[in-house]
Amino acid sequence: MKNGRKLWFVMLATSMLLTLFLSACGKGGTSEGSSSDPVTITYYTIDSPDRTFVEKLIPDFESKHPNIKVKVDKAPYEQFDSKLQANIAAKKSPDITSHFGYGGFMEYYNKGLLTDLTDIMKADNFKASDYGIQDELMNIYKVDGKTYGIPSNNYVTLMLYNKDMFDKAGVSYPPSDYEDKSWTFDKMIEMAKKLTVVSDDITKTQYGVDFGWGELDMRPAYFGAKVYSDDAWTNGGKPSETYFGSPEAIAAYQKWIGLIWDQKVAPPPAFSKAVAGQFGDPFLSGKIGMSVVGSWSLASQKDFNFKVGVAAVPIGGNPDVRSVLYVDPLFVLKDSKHPKEAYEFIKYMLTTEVQEKSIELSGGTPPVNDNAKEKYYNSFEGVDPQVIKQVYEGANKYGVESYNHLISNYSQLNELLINEFQSVQNGDQKVEAALPGIQEKITKLLERLNK
Amino acid sequence: MMNRQLISRGLAFLILIVCTAAMISPIFFMISTSLKTKSEMLLFPPTWIPQSFQWDNFKELFTNEEIKFGVLYQNSIIIAVLTVIGTVFSSAVVAYGFSRYRGKGRNLLFMLMISTMMLPYPAIMIPQFLLFSDMNWMDTFLPLIVPAFFGSAYQIFLLRQFFNTLPNELYDSGKIDGASELRMFSSIALPLSGPALATVAIFSFVWSWNDLLGPVLYLNSQEKFTLPIGMAAMISSKFRIAPWNLLMCAAIMAVIPVVALFAVAQKRFTEGIVLTGIK
Repeated sequence: MKNGRKLWFVMLATSMLLTLFLSACGKGGTSEGSSSDPVTITYYTIDSPDRTFVEKLIPDFESKHPNIKVKVDKAPYEQFDSKLQANIAAKKSPDITSHFGYGGFMEYYNKGLLTDLTDIMKADNFKASDYGIQDELMNIYKVDGKTYGIPSNNYVTLMLYNKDMFDKAGVSYPPSDYEDKSWTFDKMIEMAKKLTVVSDDITKTQYGVDFGWGELDMRPAYFGAKVYSDDAWTNGGKPSETYFGSPEAIAAYQKWIGLIWDQKVAPPPAFSKAVAGQFGDPFLSGKIGMSVVGSWSLASQKDFNFKVGVAAVPIGGNPDVRSVLYVDPLFVLKDSKHPKEAYEFIKYMLTTEVQEKSIELSGGTPPVNDNAKEKYYNSFEGVDPQVIKQVYEGANKYGVESYNHLISNYSQLNELLINEFQSVQNGDQKVEAALPGIQEKITKLLERLNK
Repeated sequence: MMNRQLISRGLAFLILIVCTAAMISPIFFMISTSLKTKSEMLLFPPTWIPQSFQWDNFKELFTNEEIKFGVLYQNSIIIAVLTVIGTVFSSAVVAYGFSRYRGKGRNLLFMLMISTMMLPYPAIMIPQFLLFSDMNWMDTFLPLIVPAFFGSAYQIFLLRQFFNTLPNELYDSGKIDGASELRMFSSIALPLSGPALATVAIFSFVWSWNDLLGPVLYLNSQEKFTLPIGMAAMISSKFRIAPWNLLMCAAIMAVIPVVALFAVAQKRFTEGIVLTGIK
């Protein structure tokens, strides 16, 4: 009996101690400031060094804007959208973010998550040219003439090539000049044939080219075919019609898939998986001659086990569409309590000085500000800055903005295409046999989503 | 006769060795990658044995200012240990009640509790987030620890099944000796349930140790991040080559407490699964 009481007491004491301890943990949480205190804005991003570098800019920003404090919240890539969603539901929306996760600009826009910045910018007399931003880039994040996002980074699509492999095969390097009109898709195939070695021994096998031009729905555009009706570009990313089954689209996909199964100069998915392993990109293994990729791959080139060169994307079916642009914006979210202060911070991020500093801090993120680009071209050891400049300028001239920023419900659409194209890429099904079915599924999906 | 025994034994060993090798190879590769340089990690075909052992990877992991591995580790331990205490204590009390008392509606209550096991986390994620947000518990460990003190349906179920196997005579004799219910709980039920309690402890530790989404949602400042967040962050950049060698170092470090806990509780743990499984 006595013992029982003792135990009871011990349990009670433990639980009380725990409560005490836990409430101590809980302290130091949120403290609501009075109106005279500086306002705090939250910048929400991905938890990786090429994104969180923003933290290092804050002391400088705060010293220049004593009335604004900036807090950086972050989440791993896979959980980025979930955390954002939960915070918005709990009325704890961050002030500034971008489409860092799976969703693109149009998903944010169509869910009504974005602040219309037009009036704030007008009152402030915002001129894109003051920040070295080209007007066409500003248009990407306008809907009905209203601005919902301001560009901050400018990725393009370029061609990386394995210099060592070219030297060994005695093939001359691909050109970096976009005005060199002899540099065509067919010429690329010719070059790739000289580099390709297919052997029973997988360690000796290598392929000439890996043509990763944009996402799957963009590839027809490269060959001069369109898959979305034009109204999609003005009505908030909801195409009234899609043309995945059209003869032009089929011909385009045949050309691309043909690299794998007809010309046999591009790696089949099984090979890519085998050599790329956990790294995702078979080019890194040194088994691919030329790789058409987003310019972010350039930032890792110092870690490659071979010398790398940069070249122009050849001319496909449409001489004006050669590079996919990924112009990343910054948004102010609708529930932001301090949109003006958030806008101030975005402006700060765009200044030449900060854009230049960001290249270094992020390890090679391309600025949108033209005045900072020279520094970007010069930040890749072993690659000629002139060549990068040439490729970048050509890509921007012959570029088209990535559809993932412009089409609504892009993640579902893209997932459907990736799944459906698997059998085509594996060679189990012909392009012309698969596409009518894919078209049907896409029509149904869009009908459901864009109702 | 002798020969046949020898052959069957040899065969058994052979099968065991092959299976062991298959089981161990991912772990071996994890250790091997953790000791590679960044450029060796990209080689194809991959090397099994690192060309030179990069022990500095571990040093780098602990000294890297951006990863703050020591802090992550400490936070994960604090949360996991408190979760274990909470889960074991609360689940045992509730399970004891379900096992010992035969009131009206007991089965209904029990079914109700069991049915909560079927709710997937995403279904309760937002409402729970709103609740903890209103309680001002954001960016604290509380939302990750306190729920453990309110029992876990799965663990309660497991413990109740175990308590049910204890013969009633034990309690009867306890009553004759004048023991209170609490005394019977602490002196009869708990000491006889070592295996089941060990099982609950291990399960709840591993669950808390692996939890990623919860901490991501509730924690905002870097000093409060846990191991899974830190490790997920290492492969979060879509634009850079992930530091897989450092990540493998982190994985090795992260596995240690789980292996240690399992080693300590192994005897009781296996016993627990077998016993609760049969009855």
